[in-house]
Amino acid sequence: MAKKPVGPQMILANCLREGRALFFGRDGAWHAEPALADVAEGDGLDALMAKARAFADANNVIDPVFIPAEQKDDHYYPAHIKHVMQAKGPSVRPDLGYQVSPDWERR
Amino acid sequence: MKRINLTGRALSDVALTVFDQSPEAAQELAGKNAPYGLILTTETAYSDLDPELIEKADLIAIDFPAFGDGRGFSLAVRLRKDFNFTGELRATGPVIPDQAQFLLRAGFDSVDTDDARAAAFQKAAGRFTAFYQTDYTGNTSVAHTRHGPSQRERKAS
Amino acid sequence: MYAYDPYDKEIVNTRVEEFRDQVNRRLSGELTEEEFRPLRLMNGLYLQLHAYMLRVAIPYGTLSSVQMRRLALIARKYDKGYGHFTTRQNIQYNWPKLVDTPDILLDLADVEMHAIQTSGNCIRNVTTDQFSGATADEIADPRPYAELIRQWSTFHPEFSFLPRKFKIAITGAPSDRAAVKWHDIGLVVRKNDAGDIGFEVLVGGGMGRTPVIAKTIRDFIPEADLLGYLEAILRVYNEQGRRDNKYKARIKILVEALGSDTFADLVEKEWQTTRHHPIDVPEAEIKRIEAFFAPPPLEVLPEQDPAVDELAANNFLFHAFLKNNVRPHKVPGHVNVTISLKPHGGIPGDATDAQMDLVADLADTYSLGEIRVSHEQNLILPHVARRDLPELYEALSRSGLGTANVGLISDIIACPGLDYCALANARSIPIAQNLAKRFDDITRLQDIGELKVKISGCINSCGHHHAGHIGILGVDRKGEEVYQLLLGGSGAEDASKAQILGPGFDENGIVDAVETVVAVYLGERQDGEKFLETYRRIGADPFKEAVYEAH
Ligand code: SF4
Repeated sequence: MAKKPVGPQMILANCLREGRALFFGRDGAWHAEPALADVAEGDGLDALMAKARAFADANNVIDPVFIPAEQKDDHYYPAHIKHVMQAKGPSVRPDLGYQVSPDWERR
Repeated sequence: MKRINLTGRALSDVALTVFDQSPEAAQELAGKNAPYGLILTTETAYSDLDPELIEKADLIAIDFPAFGDGRGFSLAVRLRKDFNFTGELRATGPVIPDQAQFLLRAGFDSVDTDDARAAAFQKAAGRFTAFYQTDYTGNTSVAHTRHGPSQRERKAS
Repeated sequence: MYAYDPYDKEIVNTRVEEFRDQVNRRLSGELTEEEFRPLRLMNGLYLQLHAYMLRVAIPYGTLSSVQMRRLALIARKYDKGYGHFTTRQNIQYNWPKLVDTPDILLDLADVEMHAIQTSGNCIRNVTTDQFSGATADEIADPRPYAELIRQWSTFHPEFSFLPRKFKIAITGAPSDRAAVKWHDIGLVVRKNDAGDIGFEVLVGGGMGRTPVIAKTIRDFIPEADLLGYLEAILRVYNEQGRRDNKYKARIKILVEALGSDTFADLVEKEWQTTRHHPIDVPEAEIKRIEAFFAPPPLEVLPEQDPAVDELAANNFLFHAFLKNNVRPHKVPGHVNVTISLKPHGGIPGDATDAQMDLVADLADTYSLGEIRVSHEQNLILPHVARRDLPELYEALSRSGLGTANVGLISDIIACPGLDYCALANARSIPIAQNLAKRFDDITRLQDIGELKVKISGCINSCGHHHAGHIGILGVDRKGEEVYQLLLGGSGAEDASKAQILGPGFDENGIVDAVETVVAVYLGERQDGEKFLETYRRIGADPFKEAVYEAH
């Protein structure tokens, strides 16, 4: 069994149909913006994952995983550069990905 | 559990024993003078196999510990090619429907799978009709079929 | 070029329908992600950081203009207007939707292309020399053999679930431009004393955590026996390669463990028992495939052209283009033109849909409609009349494709790295961009001369850092991107493993370190020595001292 992650965590997954990286939000839906992500820690982790996993079971997202979060200003953001990259898009293509806007894909 | 017949041959129902490379075990099977079947794992090295024991078996089941364990395919080819095994060859373990045609073409006759996957297995087994390799079901590679009917008769074994 | 016959068409089309069925079963929930993953991977569909990624094979790096236009169309229609040419003569699309992939495959099949076996533990796209069939130094065009291997390895009933991925490269020339010694199997076309064609066979090369240079296990295997011999190698590997540890599963580990002589004996024994088995294709089939690669009908032209010489004398950049991007064709008066996909500040290997369309048009006008893709992530127009160079150069320059840096320090191989790749530890592309910025002056580049920089974002080594004259490897140090510097590698016929120089650097430090290394070379080089020659003569120490003293 994997160790319980330490510190505040958010959940990241990819949507099945399009593959885009999404965060599990406080409103129980999936979002491009990490600022909307629900954050849990310690004993709260299992409940959060259970909620997120329901979407994987219903075939909407793939591979939900905990990722470490850190607080900046009023919100939590992914702590690791890899997840920051996933939240934004390629650093070498500022014209692509959610760094353009949260509804980038639909514009 | 459902048994899928890939080749259409009459399937054997002899009891299976786990292959044991010791001479005593071989003697015991030979001594019984009754049809027998063997279970081989993908770990089995072909060099450990007793040619007589293999050739005389009615049925050999190759047990895949994981569907990606491709040793089972080479083992099947060995049995057909190097041991002249003509009995039924069965795949057991978590093989997947999308492998049906690979199994068939490597020399397997049958697969044990769970009921839910039986239909997908049947469908996948007949999907492709042209092949780049001559194989153990008698399919001739297109490299040969391209060059005339005389080549068409060629078989693998 | 090879053209599909009805059999080839049927096989590729059936594959598209099979994949459509698999995608539908996944979307409906009949297949779980665990079950679907290996199926999509076998079709080149990965899940990366931002999206799915589809890897399309460009068999032996040869494309027609029609195929190139289709690649452009796919970039436009299903992706974000660009594609990435990789070190294995594939193209990757970074943003396809799962639901679209069956249609993408159908569009590909329509121009005789596919994504079959571009991933997964099977025999991958066979790669070769980008100048095949158009270079004077080759014994024979290796592409017919690559096509033969492509067909034999496609949906092979026995070798589709190997311990690990399996890469074959083949070269027809003694100058190795396909890095054959870094492949699981490397094939070098040879001619024996009787004048017959055959192959030297090398096995067990590879990069990753354990870089190994392939060893020769047979000096000459006759043409007719090629597939049978490959089959014997694959059977031994499939049976005996390790499956308990994916880092030890490549054939290089098996060959090292057994010793290459023992491995060669096992293969030889297996091959002897299967020789003349129907695996050996009829001679007529080899002839049939060869006919597709008949030498192009080019007329012999004068070697010199006054207009070319005049432009070269007056236009410094064209002069550099001529020197660096153009090399002689086997037919006098013709040349191979390499189009650099390494514009300074750009992303190595990326091309937009408009650029792909333009290259297709230029291929039609100047290169008999043929294009090549190199493992160095550039495009090639193989059959250009020398006298057309001024026009061609003009058209390329106008579209940002005229960079005259082929083979120079800014012609950098870089994998996608952490900007795209889910396995990455660090970004590769920004390092390549910063290096190109640092070495931005073409006079300086030319003075430095041939210098191959290769960058990988993790130890998987897709950026071939082990084979770089200067190699750069990105690692993750507690969440920070750190770059190791390696020197002295080669992917050519004199293959060697690059060695780590010392402790790693941050994003800026690595660029400084490369600059220091270049300065040491320039100070130490003796008459006309290339970087690698100087490095081999003086060893790592002078570089180490200079690089780490400065810190
Ligand atoms: S070397 Fe690593 S980071 Fe680069 S593409 Fe390969 S797996 Fe990804």
